[in-house]
Amino acid sequence: MRRQSMYLRMVTRSLLGRRSRLIVALLAVAIGAATLSGLVTVYHDVPRQLGREFRSYGANLVVIPSGETPGLDRSVMERVGRLLPADATVGVAPYRYDTVRIHEQPFLAAGTELPGARAVSPYWGITGDWPAASGDMLVGQDVAKLIGLEAGEQVTVTGVDAGGKDVERAFTVTGILQSGGAEDGYVFTDLTDLAALAGGDRIDVIEYSVATSEEELAATAGRITDTVEGAAAERVKRVSSSEASVLGTLQSLVYLVTLIVLVLTMICVSTTMIAVVAERRKEIGLRKALGADNRAIVAEFLGEGLLLGALGGVLGSVLGFGFAEVVSLNVFGRGISFQPLMILLTVVVSVAVTGLACVLPVRRAVDVEPAVVLRGE
Amino acid sequence: MFWRMVKGALVRQRAKRLTILLTVALGASLATGMLNVMFDVGDKVNQELKAYGANINVLPTGTAVLGERYSLENADVLPQAQLAEGDLGKIKTIFWAFNIVDFAPYLETKAAIDGDDVTLVGTWFQRELSLPTGEVTQAGTRNMKSWWDVTGDWLTDADDGAVMVGSALAARHGLQVGDAITVEVNGRSTPLLVKGIIDAGGDEDEQAFVPLRLVQDLEQLPAAVGRIEVSALTTPDNELSRRAAQNPESLSIKDWETWYCTAYVSSISYQIEEAIPGSVAKPIRQVAESEGAILEKTQLLMLLITGLSLVGAALGISNLVTASVMERAPEIGLLKAVGATDGAVLLLVLVEIAVVGTVGGVLGYFAGLGVAQIIGQTVFGSAISIKPVVIPLVAVLVSLVLLAGSLPSIRLLLSLRPAEVLHGR
Repeated sequence: MRRQSMYLRMVTRSLLGRRSRLIVALLAVAIGAATLSGLVTVYHDVPRQLGREFRSYGANLVVIPSGETPGLDRSVMERVGRLLPADATVGVAPYRYDTVRIHEQPFLAAGTELPGARAVSPYWGITGDWPAASGDMLVGQDVAKLIGLEAGEQVTVTGVDAGGKDVERAFTVTGILQSGGAEDGYVFTDLTDLAALAGGDRIDVIEYSVATSEEELAATAGRITDTVEGAAAERVKRVSSSEASVLGTLQSLVYLVTLIVLVLTMICVSTTMIAVVAERRKEIGLRKALGADNRAIVAEFLGEGLLLGALGGVLGSVLGFGFAEVVSLNVFGRGISFQPLMILLTVVVSVAVTGLACVLPVRRAVDVEPAVVLRGE
Repeated sequence: MFWRMVKGALVRQRAKRLTILLTVALGASLATGMLNVMFDVGDKVNQELKAYGANINVLPTGTAVLGERYSLENADVLPQAQLAEGDLGKIKTIFWAFNIVDFAPYLETKAAIDGDDVTLVGTWFQRELSLPTGEVTQAGTRNMKSWWDVTGDWLTDADDGAVMVGSALAARHGLQVGDAITVEVNGRSTPLLVKGIIDAGGDEDEQAFVPLRLVQDLEQLPAAVGRIEVSALTTPDNELSRRAAQNPESLSIKDWETWYCTAYVSSISYQIEEAIPGSVAKPIRQVAESEGAILEKTQLLMLLITGLSLVGAALGISNLVTASVMERAPEIGLLKAVGATDGAVLLLVLVEIAVVGTVGGVLGYFAGLGVAQIIGQTVFGSAISIKPVVIPLVAVLVSLVLLAGSLPSIRLLLSLRPAEVLHGR
């Protein structure tokens, strides 16, 4: 009992007594631990976070009618929605396409849910505003150039209803759409507006933007095709497989960098610990002269080292989490999920590294002859 | 005498100096490696993002504005405007020629396979192209469409009697690799051999691909091209490029020059329009915009990671330097006792650190180049380009760190009292 309290007192006294050296060593361990936990957290979070960024490429899954079904209806959207992970679905946009006439010229009109289309296709460039109400319309830039439309103008659109009769409706052009793709030649209205113009209620295709891995996306597509009647899901391969390859590259970059930084910080921590322990040879000599055996000395130094490692590990994992949070907020504009396991891992690794770094110099130190050291040689 | 002392300190206490040297070298190599990778990561990720295909679409002026008007009703009546195949090489002669990664021309026609209407697309697969500058380059779909899964073989541009069909088309007609099909265009039949089946997960699954020459012959449009897809390395858009994209003429001369000489997608498009007569080059926003966003994120990510690792390395090194200088208190005490001035002591310590730091820094720099190349080869499969600007950066960094590390200990050494130190207190 007494022995133990004496041991504890020696360890804490020696740490508190030499405050500046303690701070140096603690700092070294804490920085090493911060680098470790920060980088590993970032590495862990990169696919999730960057995966979201890749959603700016637009839809990576489309649902189309299968077999003899002429079109999809809204119940399909609901049923597919249940099969998709809710927190990973970035956007859903149903589309129907019909030919309408503007100024007696035929154009392809796309009816959609515009907030959904905006979420699925963030790369659309809009001059003007997004449509807000029924009766608003987006016009592709080629169409706008052809018939001389500008944002804010009123235009009459003619459609043909199910009975073959002409239907006319007035629309407000809220914005001009630029995409550089086929969309430049379309006009976009709300689904219900187009249904009123062209008759009937159907959906030709539903676009999904889902932030998930390629394999999971393929599995989900298979599940949708199998379970939702009259619908087939296809991956947009250009988007999904390119994303997988680029994301894989980026993740391996962060992985390699993490590994290299880790090795270097560990070396730095060890050299600092070696220097700190080596400095105390005189003290070891004195204790040996007073009758301490080697085991007691090794135990004391190791205890000190481990305490330092634990303290530095806790401090470092807090700092590291802060760093990862700063990175995530700055780079991706989103916070990072807190992982308690990360703290445990950091503390264990830093205790192990400091302990290991102490063993070598302490073993060398206990070999000293007390008399030689004390005489100052 | 001075140099002998420095040399003595360096040689005699080899083990201790070596620890510092090693740490400095490690830190410097980390800085060199990370900085090189950081400066190059933009280019490298940009290359990776080329997997998404073309980011510029080049069309004949007619189709872009006028042709659209009639495309739905009178497409067959009006002669369609075309680009000239001979002009294609000019894409590689624009100001930003080196940023053009790849391009492919397309000419489409309506065809019937077993009475089923399909789009027959003529293109370059992998064409060797000699440029006016004397260089030879490769262009075509084979490299651009990295996401295509091809069962069987890719066509070559010399395969006159062969075709690649989309997977949906092949499934509908029960086509296998090696089957013979008959394609009917404008009432003329041509027998073709199915050489490959494309699974592209897009519109291409419904189309058939043949060499460009074949479609030109069938349509009797010699040397004509309907559309060109260009894949270019671009700089993310900023306010200037957005203004320029609206109307390049609205810029001041200075802004115009800045814009023209930066690899924005809009300036590259503009230069392609200049190079190819009668063309309109449109950025494909899906690819161009997203590239910008992802590039910026990746660069920022690397910047922050580099920052953290540099701070870590810096603190580690200065810690060690502080510890090692303090260790030498008795020696300095002796020096002072035999009459060394503060200035002389300072000089001695600083020169020693400078020598160790320089050697360590140089060693570390070269090791760092190795680290950068390891990262480049394992992650991107290509070498990281070495930026000279990293050398002064690393030099400044290492000197600052060493100075910061030695300052507190030097102050301590100068205030030492020789008698006390030598006495062993």
